[in-house]
Amino acid sequence: MEKLKLNETPVRTSRNFNINNIKLENVDLPKEVQEFSNLIIKNENKDIKIDFEKDEISLKYGVGDILLENSKKLSNKNLKITIDSKQKKEAFLDFYLDETNNNLIENIEIIANENSKATIYLKYESKVKSFHNGVLKILAKESSELNIVIVNLVSLDTNNFISIDSEVLDNANLNFTIVDFGGKASVTNLYSNITGKKAENNINTIYLGKENQLIDINYIGELKGEKSNINIEVQGALKDNAKKHFKGTIDFKRGCKKAKGNENEFCTLLSDTAKSLALPMLLCSEEDVEGNHSSAAGKIGQKELFYIMSRGFNHKEAMKLIVRANFNNIIETIENIEVKNRIAYEIDNRLD
Amino acid sequence: MSKLLEIKNLFVNAGEKEILKGINLKINAGEVHVIMGPNGSGKTTTANAILNNPLYQKKSGEIIFEGENINNLKTDEIARKGIFMSFQLPEEIPGVSVTNFLKYAKSKVTGKPVKIFEFKNELKTYMDELKMNPKNMDRSLNVGFSGGEKKKNEILQLLVLNPKLAILDETDSGLDVDAIKTVSKGIEMFKTKENSVLIITHNTKILHSLKPDYVHVLVDGKIVKTGDASLAKEIEENGYEQYKK
Amino acid sequence: MKKTNIDEINRNIYDIKNKDSYDFKSQKGLNKEIIEDISKQKGDPDWMKEFRLKALEIYNKLELPTWGPDISELNMDDISTYVKPKSKLNSSWEDVPDDIKKTFDNLGIPEAEKKSLAGVGAQYDSEVVYHSMKEDLIKQGVIYTDMETAVREYPEIVKKYFMKCVPVYDHKFVALHGAVWSGGSFVYVPKGVKVDIPLQSYFRLNSPESGQFEHTLIIVDEGASLHFIEGCSAPKYNKVNLHAGCVELYVKENAYLRYSTIENWSKNMLNLNTKKAIVEKGGQIDWVTGSFGSKISMLYPMSILNGEGAKTEFTGISFAGKGQNLDNGFKVVHNAPNTSSVVNAKSISKNGGKCTYRSLVRINEEAKNSKSSVSCESLMLDDISISDTIPTNDIRNDDVEFSHEAKIGKISDKTIFYLMSRGMSEEDAKAMIVRGFAYPISKELPVEYAVEMNNLINLELEGSIG
Repeated sequence: MEKLKLNETPVRTSRNFNINNIKLENVDLPKEVQEFSNLIIKNENKDIKIDFEKDEISLKYGVGDILLENSKKLSNKNLKITIDSKQKKEAFLDFYLDETNNNLIENIEIIANENSKATIYLKYESKVKSFHNGVLKILAKESSELNIVIVNLVSLDTNNFISIDSEVLDNANLNFTIVDFGGKASVTNLYSNITGKKAENNINTIYLGKENQLIDINYIGELKGEKSNINIEVQGALKDNAKKHFKGTIDFKRGCKKAKGNENEFCTLLSDTAKSLALPMLLCSEEDVEGNHSSAAGKIGQKELFYIMSRGFNHKEAMKLIVRANFNNIIETIENIEVKNRIAYEIDNRLD
Repeated sequence: MSKLLEIKNLFVNAGEKEILKGINLKINAGEVHVIMGPNGSGKTTTANAILNNPLYQKKSGEIIFEGENINNLKTDEIARKGIFMSFQLPEEIPGVSVTNFLKYAKSKVTGKPVKIFEFKNELKTYMDELKMNPKNMDRSLNVGFSGGEKKKNEILQLLVLNPKLAILDETDSGLDVDAIKTVSKGIEMFKTKENSVLIITHNTKILHSLKPDYVHVLVDGKIVKTGDASLAKEIEENGYEQYKK
Repeated sequence: MKKTNIDEINRNIYDIKNKDSYDFKSQKGLNKEIIEDISKQKGDPDWMKEFRLKALEIYNKLELPTWGPDISELNMDDISTYVKPKSKLNSSWEDVPDDIKKTFDNLGIPEAEKKSLAGVGAQYDSEVVYHSMKEDLIKQGVIYTDMETAVREYPEIVKKYFMKCVPVYDHKFVALHGAVWSGGSFVYVPKGVKVDIPLQSYFRLNSPESGQFEHTLIIVDEGASLHFIEGCSAPKYNKVNLHAGCVELYVKENAYLRYSTIENWSKNMLNLNTKKAIVEKGGQIDWVTGSFGSKISMLYPMSILNGEGAKTEFTGISFAGKGQNLDNGFKVVHNAPNTSSVVNAKSISKNGGKCTYRSLVRINEEAKNSKSSVSCESLMLDDISISDTIPTNDIRNDDVEFSHEAKIGKISDKTIFYLMSRGMSEEDAKAMIVRGFAYPISKELPVEYAVEMNNLINLELEGSIG
C-alpha cells in the first residue's frame, strides 16, 4: 500500500487551498506484472505503423515520480505508433482489463510525421478491480493533424493514472478528446509543449463522477511558438459524493507573439455532497497575446429543467438531457459513430 | 481657393500587400470630395495613410497638407494640424467618459485648456442636434454603443474638434435612413467655406443629402475616374462593373 | 520636452527622508530579550507581554511560505522591529514635532482632514503621533484611537477581539506581528451609528532597516456603518524594510464597512500584510485597494461570511513596475446561506514588473443559495513583464452560482491609433487607456484618493513609455 503525492501544479499556491497536489492513500502498486494480453487493435492502414517496441520515454511532468518509476520498471505493454497517412485515417486500441490482465502499465509513443493526418482511439475498460498506469508520448510534426481520443471506462474500484507529454511543431494541429468516466481515483496529467509557429492544441474533456469517485485533472499548456494557440474546454458533472480537482495552466512563454489561449471549465453539481475544486491558471511573460479563462460551477439551471419537464420528461430524464447537451460540443469532436454511441450510452447509464 | 490637401502618386502597402497603386488627389478649402469604390479597392487605406496609421506603409509618393509634407508625421501631430478621421469601426475605451475624452482631445488639438462650463454647453447643443441621448455624455466612450450611436459619436467629435479637413470613412454604412439624415445634418453644421470634407463610401445614400463638388472612383488602388455629383448618380445606377478590368 | 504638465506629480513627496532620529530603536534581530525590551518600552500590561512572547515562540516554529515570491532576502537580524519616534501622541498638529509634521503636510494629511475626513490617525515609524476625531462622533460614542490607548483604556474589548479574527498561528508573519506589533488604530462604532464621512489612518515608515507592524482593529456594531481609509508610504532606502501589519475587522449584524487602501510603500519594502474581516448576518464588507508600491507584496484580504445574507465586494488594482513583484489577491469563505461575493481585480505590469492575482473562493456545505462572481483583468504594457493569475475555486455544495473570468492582454494598436487621431500623443493615449482600465477601482475611492491614484498611474507610466 502506497501513499502517493501526485499531480503537482507547475506553480504553487497557498498550501491551505489544498490544490497544489493530490494525496492518495492505500494505493496498491503492483510489484510484478505479466505481459498484458487483452489489447485489441483495429488498424487497416499500412501508413499507420504500430510496433511493439519500447523507447526510453522521458516526461517533463507526469502524474508523479513513484508512478513514473513504476512505469519504467514494470511496463507490460509497449507500443510505438508512426503515422504517415496523408488522408485522415483511424486506428483503434482497446485495452480490456480483467481478472487475468488486471494490471496495465503501458508505454505508448505516437509520432505524426510531416503532413500526416490520423485519429487514434485509446479505450480503457474494466469490470473488475484493476490498476492502470499509462504513459503517452506524442509528437505532432510540421503540418500534421493528429487527433487522440482517450476513453476511460475502468471500474469504480480501479485506480487510473495517465501521464501525457506532447509536443506540437510548426503548423501542426494536435487535438485531444478525453472522456474521463471511470476509476476510483482517476488522475490525468497532460503536458503540451507548443513550440511551433501557428501550432495549435485543443484539449476537450468531459468527466462524470459518481459515488466516491475522485477525478484529478492537471493540464499544462506552454505556448512558445508565434501565433500558437491552445484551447482547453472541460465540461463535467458530479453526483453523489464525487469530487473533482481541475488544474489548468496556460503559460505564455516569452516569444509567443500573437499567441492565444482559452480555457473554459464548467462543472455541474448534481448533489449537495459533490465537490468541485478548480485552479485555472494563466501565466504570462509575453505582451502581445490574448489569454482568457472562465470557470463556473453550480447546479442544473432550474429554468431549463422546468422547461424540459413541461414537455413531458421526468426529472431524471430532463437532467440527463441537460448534462448530455452540455457535453455535446465535445462529443461532436469525435468522428467515429460507434465510439460516440458508446459514450452516449455510458452517460445515460451512469446518470441512472 | 487655397489648396488644403494634395496627394501625389501615393503607393501604400498593408503588410506585404500592395493596396494603393499611385493615387493623386487635390482638395481645396471649401470643397466636398467623395471617394467611391467597391469593397477592397483601397478606400479605408487612403484614409489611414493620410493619418499615418503604422499598420499601413507608404512606399512612395507624397501627402501634402497646407504646403507641408506630412508623410512621416505621427498621427497625433497630423490630427493637431487639423485633419480628422471618422472611423468605420470606432474603438471602445472602457473607463473614459465621452465628456472627459472630448475635453482632453480638444485641449490637445487646440493647445489651450478647455473651459468646462462652456464646453459642456457646446457638447449639449451638438448632442441635441444629433439626437443623441444626453446620458451618453457620462458613459464610457463607445462602450456598449449601438452602431448608430458610435457613428453619431464620431460626428460629435468632428463638431467639437472642428478640423480643417474631415475624412469620413464609411460613416453612412450600417445606418438607417433617419440616422443618415441626422449624420448628414451634423456634417452640414460642420461645413464652412474654409474647411473641407472627404467622404469615403461604397454606396451613395449619404450623397442624397450632401452635395459633393467632386466624385472620384477608386478601383484596385487607383482613381479611375473623377467627375461631379452626376458621377455618383451614374454609379448608383450602373455600379462599378464598367470600371473594373 | 514634456508635452503635458497636467496631472503631474512630484515623486519627491513620498521620497523625502527625514533624519533617522528616534527616542528608542530596538536592537536589530528577534529574540526574547528584544521582545521584552519592546514590551517594556511600550509599557504593556502583563497579558500583552505574555502574548508577545508566546507569538515569538510560534514564529520560531512556523515555516516560511512554500509558494509565492521569493522572500529569502529578508533577514530579521538586519531589521529593527521597534522605532519609537521623538514624539508623544498628540491631538493637535501644532504639537507634533516640526520635521514629522512637515512629512504629513507634504503628504497632504492635515489638509485632507480639514476637507473630507471625520477623523485622522498618523503613525510615524512605530508609534502613532497624531489622533483626532470630530466632536459629534465622540458624542455618539464612536471610539477612534491608537491601539496602545485602546489596550490601556478598553482592555476588555481588546482582549475579546485582539488577534481572534487573525489567529497568531495563521502564518509566520502574523506570528511575527503578534510579537512585535506597535501602533495602528482602534475603531468602535456603536450600534446604529452611521459614520458618513471617512476616517483615515496614515502610516509612514521613515527609519531605514526597520519594520512597521501596526495593528488595526475595527468593530462596526449592529446596524452601524463606517468608511475607513488607510494610506501608507515610505522613502526609499537601499536595504530592505519590512511591513507586517495586521488588520482585523468585525462587521456585526446588518453593519457595513468599507475599507479602502492606497498602498505606496517604497520599492525596497517587503509588504507581508494580513487583513481579515468576519461578517455576521446581513452585514457587508467592501474592500477597495490600490497597490502601487513595495518591492514584494503578499497581500490577500479575506472576508469570512459567517452570517446568513452576509456580503462582500473586493475591488482592487495592482501596478507593478521595474523590480516589483506584487502577489496580491483576495480570499473569501462562504459559511452561511444566501451569502454573496463579488470580485473585480485588475493588474498592470510594465518594465519587468510582475503582478500575480492569487485568490480563494470557498463556498462551504452550509452556504446554500450563495453566489460568487469573480472577474480578473491583466494588462501587459511590454514584453519583459509578467502577469500571472492563480485563482482557487472550491465549491462544496450544489446550490450555488459561481463564475470566474479572467483575461490577459495588451493595449491594442488600433485603440492607440484611434486616440492619436484625436490629437493625443502615444504616451497620452496609453495613459488615458490605463486610467480608463483602472477607473472601476478609482471611482470607488473618495475623490482626493482617486486623483492620487491617477497621479500614481501617470507617475508609473512616465519613463516606461516613449
